[in-house]
Amino acid sequence: MREQDIKQMVEANFQGSTARVQKKGRIIVTLVKESAPGALIFFKANGFDHLSAISCTDWLKEDEFELVYHLWSYTERIHAMIKTRIPRSSPVAISSIPVFEHAQTYEREIHEMFGVNFEGNPRLIPMFLENWQGPPPMRKDFNTREHVKNAFGMEDNLR
Amino acid sequence: MRELELYFGPQHVGMVGNFGIILNVEGDTVVKARSNPGYLHRGFEKLMEYRSYIQNFPLVCRINVMDPDPNEMLYAMAVEDLAGLEVPPRGHYIRSIVLEMSRISSHLFWIWGFGNLLGFDTIGQWAMGDRDYFLDLFEELCGGRVYHIYIWPGGVRRDLPPGFADRLCAACDHLEEKISDYDDLFFNNRIFAERTQGVAPLTREQAISLGITGTNLRATGAGYDVRKDEPYAAYSEFKFDVPVMEDGDSYSRAIVIRLELEQSISIIRQAIAQLPDGPAWNKVPNPFKWNINPGETYVKIESSRGEEGVYMVSDGSNKPYRVYFRTPSYPTGMLVLERLLQGASVSDVGHIMMSLNIAAPEIDR
Amino acid sequence: MDREEIGKIIKSPSKWGQKYSLWAVYFCTGCGIIEIPPVLTSRWDAERFGVMPMATPRQGNMFLITGYVSMKTLGAIIRTYDQMLDPKYVVGFGSCPINGGMYWDSYNTIKELDKYIPVDGWIAGCMPRPEAIFIAVTKLWMMIDNDAATGYKRYKENYQYYERNQREVLPHLPKFAKPEHAQIG
Repeated sequence: MREQDIKQMVEANFQGSTARVQKKGRIIVTLVKESAPGALIFFKANGFDHLSAISCTDWLKEDEFELVYHLWSYTERIHAMIKTRIPRSSPVAISSIPVFEHAQTYEREIHEMFGVNFEGNPRLIPMFLENWQGPPPMRKDFNTREHVKNAFGMEDNLR
Repeated sequence: MRELELYFGPQHVGMVGNFGIILNVEGDTVVKARSNPGYLHRGFEKLMEYRSYIQNFPLVCRINVMDPDPNEMLYAMAVEDLAGLEVPPRGHYIRSIVLEMSRISSHLFWIWGFGNLLGFDTIGQWAMGDRDYFLDLFEELCGGRVYHIYIWPGGVRRDLPPGFADRLCAACDHLEEKISDYDDLFFNNRIFAERTQGVAPLTREQAISLGITGTNLRATGAGYDVRKDEPYAAYSEFKFDVPVMEDGDSYSRAIVIRLELEQSISIIRQAIAQLPDGPAWNKVPNPFKWNINPGETYVKIESSRGEEGVYMVSDGSNKPYRVYFRTPSYPTGMLVLERLLQGASVSDVGHIMMSLNIAAPEIDR
Repeated sequence: MDREEIGKIIKSPSKWGQKYSLWAVYFCTGCGIIEIPPVLTSRWDAERFGVMPMATPRQGNMFLITGYVSMKTLGAIIRTYDQMLDPKYVVGFGSCPINGGMYWDSYNTIKELDKYIPVDGWIAGCMPRPEAIFIAVTKLWMMIDNDAATGYKRYKENYQYYERNQREVLPHLPKFAKPEHAQIG
């Protein structure tokens, strides 16, 4: 099975990584932060040429952000989720624009919504929000209902 | 020549949806284009973390107003994956029928927008009129013309009403007759061909490296479709083609969308003919006390615009921890549009944008 | 026909002209836009009621706010509304302009449209049917006859109130601040 080959290659080539075959067509790879750029180049060279998305999850209790790179291989029909964790207090990651061109937009959104700084991305300017003064809104410690009460004065609208 | 900054902005008669493009033009040529999204940003992903799993269903279909059923399908598939629920075979077939009906109505809406931007008003009147027959069927099935809230974890909300299959076949027959009229008026029209051939071309390698999926990718020669790569619902039981064109320009993208109409009608007919008996949904636990075990999943389907996916993380409570929607218009509306508009003529800006089938609410969520 | 009989048939020529040619400014503000093309095309045919889309706000007199209003859209709506000429009528379409609707706890949508621009009538629903738009148009005719559709007069008389609310949520709008553009691109 091709998923098992990829699992073995990843664990052999990247120190501190674990790969898990979740089910047919899904691999989850967990890496340390420094291995992420090399892993993306490795996966792209092995047929994973489509970057579906880059998503970010805020693990407030563990004080970390988790970046997940979703890659898809058209030839093997496998979807790989490559996960790295970065500290919440100083969220910095390396941009993957040299590997996948359109990562620029995903990183711009994660910068706006979570506050993660991507080094090497020339366009980290606001995309959705205009003149936003509050904290990055997708973080778990930003309570959207409190914000609505203060900003719009909607005391009696809340259930 | 002096450079002017123009706003092909939200209030514009050629803009379908609430989206802005800032154009720097010199004479008649666009020198630089920047996408200006955010006019429709509601913060769905944040709102979903505050509502329980079952309360998110009315929210999810509003992510893309022109093609709402794939969003419900994705959310239901993700919840079923995390909670380990099964869908009965009849539920799978009904889901396929509803998804194809939604694809047809989205493509007919696209014909109205695309025709208007090229100056063809009549084809839009015909397409919106024929689309209304499908919206009437949706109203009979689930009570609402636009937002259905019909697909939920375990199957679909209710079974087909008696006589529905005959009315659906009648609507499909009517549309099939009309498609030859559409061809005579619009798709075989010399003016349409001359205005769109050779405009904004993309090669297959460029498309894959820019994250393009769906009809735009199939117009460049790569015949990839999630319904064939990773079949979901009942798609593995149907025989259908995936139309592919080679040139990758505005004309090819439009023709691929036109050819998909016939394939969708054929899928609906096969589904109705092979519809199995049985229940349309399986019982699920009490949704008000429904806790889902911790886990994560990524599910994807083929919406009318391309590959749409959901990455969901659950943490054992009754609310999702993180829901991320990967929408097909996101790479297309941002970087690809800016690249393709550079060097284009001002009169082509509208139909380049529309041929990429960009849905503004999908970008902003 | 003498002058008295004509006066009984046509109450006031200017009101008659305004009522039966409400030209809606073409602005797709929110998700309610999906029901506007069916209203304007052959099946529901709004032209029977005199309602037609108009490309520029300077020549339109009805503003149909279809759906929720995000902060960026509110700036565009205020600019468009300020460009329209009197008399002008605003109709809120859907439950989101009324009280926030489905997105009542969203950080980026406004909750009550009436605080920022004057609204003459509301259409409830999520999504309202095309027939609801026609009922709203006929009600607007009756309001115009009775001089009750005076949103534009309210705006001018209470401009301090509206401007204060607008400035509270959009302090960077060019008409308030120095002309520094919002950062885009």
